[in-house]
Amino acid sequence: MIPPVRMLLNISDLSARVAGKEILKGVNLKVNAGEVHAIMGPNGSGKSTLAQVLAGREDYEVTGGSVSFEGADLLAMPAEQRARAGLFLGFQYPVEIPGVNNVYLLKAALNAKRKAAGEPEVDAYDFLSLVKQKMKLMQMSETFLTRGVNEGFSGGEKKRNEVLQMLILEPKLAILDETDSGLDIDALKVVAMGVNSLRDPQRAVVLVTHYQRLLDYITPDHVHVLSDGRILKSGDRSLALELERRGYDWVRESRVA
Amino acid sequence: MSPAQNSAALRSFEEQWLARAPGAPEPGAPAPGAREPGAREPDALSGLRERALRRFLHLGLPTSHDESWRYTSLRPLASQSFTDAPRAQALGFEQALALEHSRALLGDRPAAEAQAATLVLVNGYPLLPPAPGPAAGLEIRTLSAVARENPDLVVRHLEPLPDAEELRWLLLNTALAVDGVHIRIKSALATPLLILHVGSADRPGTVAYPRVIVEVAPGAAATVLEHHIQHGAESPLSNSATLLALGRDARLEHYRVFAAGERAVHFDTLQVRLERDAECRQFTVALGGGLVRALLDARLNEPGAKLDSRALLVGHADRHVDCVNVVRHAAARTVSRQTARAIASGTSRVIFNSKVVVDAGASQSDSQQSCRGLLLSPSAEIDSRPQLEIHTDEVKCAHGATTGRLDPNMLFYMLSRGLDRQTAQSLLVYAFLADVLTGMSQSAARGAIESELIRQLPDSQILQEFK
Repeated sequence: MIPPVRMLLNISDLSARVAGKEILKGVNLKVNAGEVHAIMGPNGSGKSTLAQVLAGREDYEVTGGSVSFEGADLLAMPAEQRARAGLFLGFQYPVEIPGVNNVYLLKAALNAKRKAAGEPEVDAYDFLSLVKQKMKLMQMSETFLTRGVNEGFSGGEKKRNEVLQMLILEPKLAILDETDSGLDIDALKVVAMGVNSLRDPQRAVVLVTHYQRLLDYITPDHVHVLSDGRILKSGDRSLALELERRGYDWVRESRVA
Repeated sequence: MSPAQNSAALRSFEEQWLARAPGAPEPGAPAPGAREPGAREPDALSGLRERALRRFLHLGLPTSHDESWRYTSLRPLASQSFTDAPRAQALGFEQALALEHSRALLGDRPAAEAQAATLVLVNGYPLLPPAPGPAAGLEIRTLSAVARENPDLVVRHLEPLPDAEELRWLLLNTALAVDGVHIRIKSALATPLLILHVGSADRPGTVAYPRVIVEVAPGAAATVLEHHIQHGAESPLSNSATLLALGRDARLEHYRVFAAGERAVHFDTLQVRLERDAECRQFTVALGGGLVRALLDARLNEPGAKLDSRALLVGHADRHVDCVNVVRHAAARTVSRQTARAIASGTSRVIFNSKVVVDAGASQSDSQQSCRGLLLSPSAEIDSRPQLEIHTDEVKCAHGATTGRLDPNMLFYMLSRGLDRQTAQSLLVYAFLADVLTGMSQSAARGAIESELIRQLPDSQILQEFK
């Protein structure tokens, strides 16, 4: 028997403006539970804007279209509510917050989500052993426990920390914005392993990436090309490989043709 | 003469001086009464005081033309007249209250112990004798007694009279202080000493001149907290002055906490004198008062001396906090650190001016000045100005000042993790101040300061949880 398809995210004709400039010009995308999507595209195509708009960044103005998340109006929710509902954004440039402890933030985040779901706060001991277990998976040193959020982390450490947060929060939908950029091959494998460990029929992952390198380690079900604020082409894994070979201009030209 | 120099305030200070003349009623006394015979001050001291007064009157009240008073106007004060604040006995400040403060700042301890570690000055007048006898290694005497018996010692600490414009209130204190305390720390003290400065008045228009001299003998070590509070609805204009003189290899951790009522006006001068390899860690915390002017005048007089000054300046409601640091490296291999965190909400204004002077010959000196400001309301203001004056080569001096609002990127990052906006904002505010707080070695004092600080910040209930 084929399990029923459950739609997690439905983006319909979404357009958005940043600092008065139209960046997204009618994006359409459906993501079902259990799927991994890759959104690729040249620099400036709107990939990061799409990720930030979905996460609820306020200075990005939505000018049209709609987004539903598990049937609810995502755009009507403030950022924190989206997070509690199970949406996670892995930042392209994770922010350093000196003075706010890494683990404190993680725990506050997890408890906020549990509270929204009507669950009790996490037990301190259980939480710490969970964090340690996931840190081991991400090959992070225990000194991360005592440091400020991303404070003094290298680029690779910041990306691992993003994936660590994702593993603890167990989102239904993870949007990873260029989580592969700036990683050496070993770090890339660790990050990919972290993401793969979260793959599950109930969850979905959207990878936003410039290069197909990450897709050697996380196999996507669907690949989309975003260019000039629109999805120009969608396909399977082979589309990424073709892009790698022929470049983004090929998509743009074939569109015009 | 400018209007300011001919102000009612100046005339009243001069009248106070005239009333100090031998045979005049004792200042601050509830009823007129002659001084005890023999209570007259020695000539050396009264000569010094007179010179201080003349110099103050010559400088007059500060105006916006004075470099260090650019952001603080005393115009409302100039038209007022001031008389001596009442003596302690007239006010009924009770030891029980002192004990409460002592326990809050020094940690819960038996009454006798808390009493021994606490020295109360009401309007500058010491409430002596303080309990059975303070800890060993410590000598506490009233300044009036020391002035009678060993005037040279007092003169030595008051000389030379300053002529810098930013030190004019110190001159007035030197001229008019009636009493105070002289503390000698002779060895390493196990327990901190609390000086509780109580400002209290029965009516507006009074002034107090608390004076504290702390001598730390060579090799000795101590922690001294000066806590300025208000008792009752009125408080005098407080013109306080403290001298910290550290001998060779001495160590001192000093706190001054301003926590008077919202209309209180406070001018405080803190002088720090460091001899060879002496180390002073100093915390200035502005948590109260309507107008607080906190001056630090530090001199690193001998090689190896080290000063670590940290300021936590909290602007709340319409409070005005003006902090001025002048740090002079007068010898080689001296080290100074100045760290300030200013936070302003409501319509408050916080000013932090710091100046480092490196004298000729003070080679291999090392100084750092850092001020960070955080604005929590559009009508609050923070001004900070680090300055450097270097008269020698081969020094390492760094300074930086930034002021801004809560970082929207940090805020969004936390929201995107599910934290609600209030919690995220409060967490950022707390993180901003943590630097200074974590440097405090007295955990009870730190806790008390933290609690009061949090109470004055927006969303204080949430912040309580981070402690």
